[in-house]
Amino acid sequence: MSGRAIPSDFVKSVLQNGAGRYVCQLQRLTFKFCKSSGGSRGTRDYIEKHLIDFSRENPGTAVYIQPRRHHTARVVAEFLNGNTVVKNINCLNPDDIMKWLEHLRTRSGIEIVRLRKSQHTDSPSIQGVWTPWTNKDSSMNISDYTDKKLLEMKRDELTATEKLLELAKNLREKDMKKTT
Amino acid sequence: MVFLTFIRSALNQGPDKYWRIQQQLRFSWHFYGRKRNCYKIGMRYVFKALRYGVSGRKDKLKNMRELWYRRINAGSEEHGLEGKMFLEGLARSEIQLDRKILSSLAIYEPRTFKSLCEVSKNTLKEHNLPFHEKHINSRQNLLKDLINNEKSVEI
Amino acid sequence: MAHYRVQQWSTFARTWWLFDARWQCPWISARTIIPYLQGTKKPIYHPLSDTGDHVIVINTRLIAMKNERWITFKHIHDSRYRPKGVIEKRAWQIHAEEPTKIFEKAVYYSMDKNLLRRNLMARLHLFPDESVPEDLLKNVSDCIRQPMLAPKRLDEYTEEDRRNFPKLFDWPKDFVLDDGFRTKKQIEFQEP
Repeated sequence: MSGRAIPSDFVKSVLQNGAGRYVCQLQRLTFKFCKSSGGSRGTRDYIEKHLIDFSRENPGTAVYIQPRRHHTARVVAEFLNGNTVVKNINCLNPDDIMKWLEHLRTRSGIEIVRLRKSQHTDSPSIQGVWTPWTNKDSSMNISDYTDKKLLEMKRDELTATEKLLELAKNLREKDMKKTT
Repeated sequence: MVFLTFIRSALNQGPDKYWRIQQQLRFSWHFYGRKRNCYKIGMRYVFKALRYGVSGRKDKLKNMRELWYRRINAGSEEHGLEGKMFLEGLARSEIQLDRKILSSLAIYEPRTFKSLCEVSKNTLKEHNLPFHEKHINSRQNLLKDLINNEKSVEI
Repeated sequence: MAHYRVQQWSTFARTWWLFDARWQCPWISARTIIPYLQGTKKPIYHPLSDTGDHVIVINTRLIAMKNERWITFKHIHDSRYRPKGVIEKRAWQIHAEEPTKIFEKAVYYSMDKNLLRRNLMARLHLFPDESVPEDLLKNVSDCIRQPMLAPKRLDEYTEEDRRNFPKLFDWPKDFVLDDGFRTKKQIEFQEP
């Protein structure tokens, strides 16, 4: 599969939710089901047995129940950032529905996409990002670059002619000492 | 009485074929021409593309490795050290940072990278390994030389 | 974040480098300059991002070539017009006409052969002598060292130095000084 076909994103969180206090991002749950059909039987059972407990535990989320004649059972979840997620719960047990609701409750509402990297920061650098001037000496601000010393080749060793001249100089000095 | 079951079973080749075609169309959405929409024509191109994908995964790692090395080399040359010898020094001082991390350190945490360079320099000196500073163009080395040669530094 | 934008300006800022081509081989000095033009000297280098620097080269008139290179090396231009489309020129001829041309060609040929080459060449500023416009020289913030050692000419030595230069040995009297190299024309001229 070509990488461009699948939408991708970096790791995100809503305003660092949970770093201090946690705010449940799920705002509204709407159950749409049929009163008579067998597909939404599990939904009906869930509503009878567990829904009141769920809404008591999560006072932040509003729960609506809308019977729709001969429709597939589904849950519409609306999040704080405006996203809506529709989950088909036709032909599901109350236990399975409970698991899916738990999934919706703990979600941040951000779309589930392929992650390019497993980690992400807004401030990648603490010491400051590299610039051309980070590792340069401050004396270069006031130096003249047409100066020959800076432009010439740097060398560790003397050239052969220079060594020769030095040798000759030493020999000459020795001779001078002998004569005197 | 009409026997439809035989005809239907002949017509219906199962859900597999439909999904197979759908899968291939997902692979070939960005092609040009009939190989984009036709199953049979696009088959060969999709297989070839997948084979390219396998080799591309290796090439990508190779290219990234080269890029990391270039970045490390550029970063360490600013502190008077070749990239090769820098890595040698780090290995000898048992600092197990990989090239990816080192290259990102060179960009985002330059001070840490500088201290790593100094660590590797010291270990190289301990092991009597040469690191050629003369090829490297940095002003700090020049200033040191001028001072060592007891020439007047005109600033 | 507003300050991120400023940070980016500073990391991707172009620096201007100065290079002196006096007594330098154009091919060797091209190899030293090219990493600066491409931006491989920076840790932020990426082949797709534009990280290259500017380089000002002075004294291109005073470049040096070894042996008989000024005579033997030739640039060939072919315009595909058959009767007289091919133009051959020796290095010394080109250098006499345009003193920056040989240096430019040396850098251009030893770069990687891709589409970036023209853009990188646009950041190379060549000057035959030391007279560089002030607005360019104002940007210069660092210099590139010469890759070769500039030799000292005979007339740069003082007379004392020349007199005191150590003589290691004398040539034997029957020794003929000859490097043995002759072109065909020279041989024809000498031995008609």
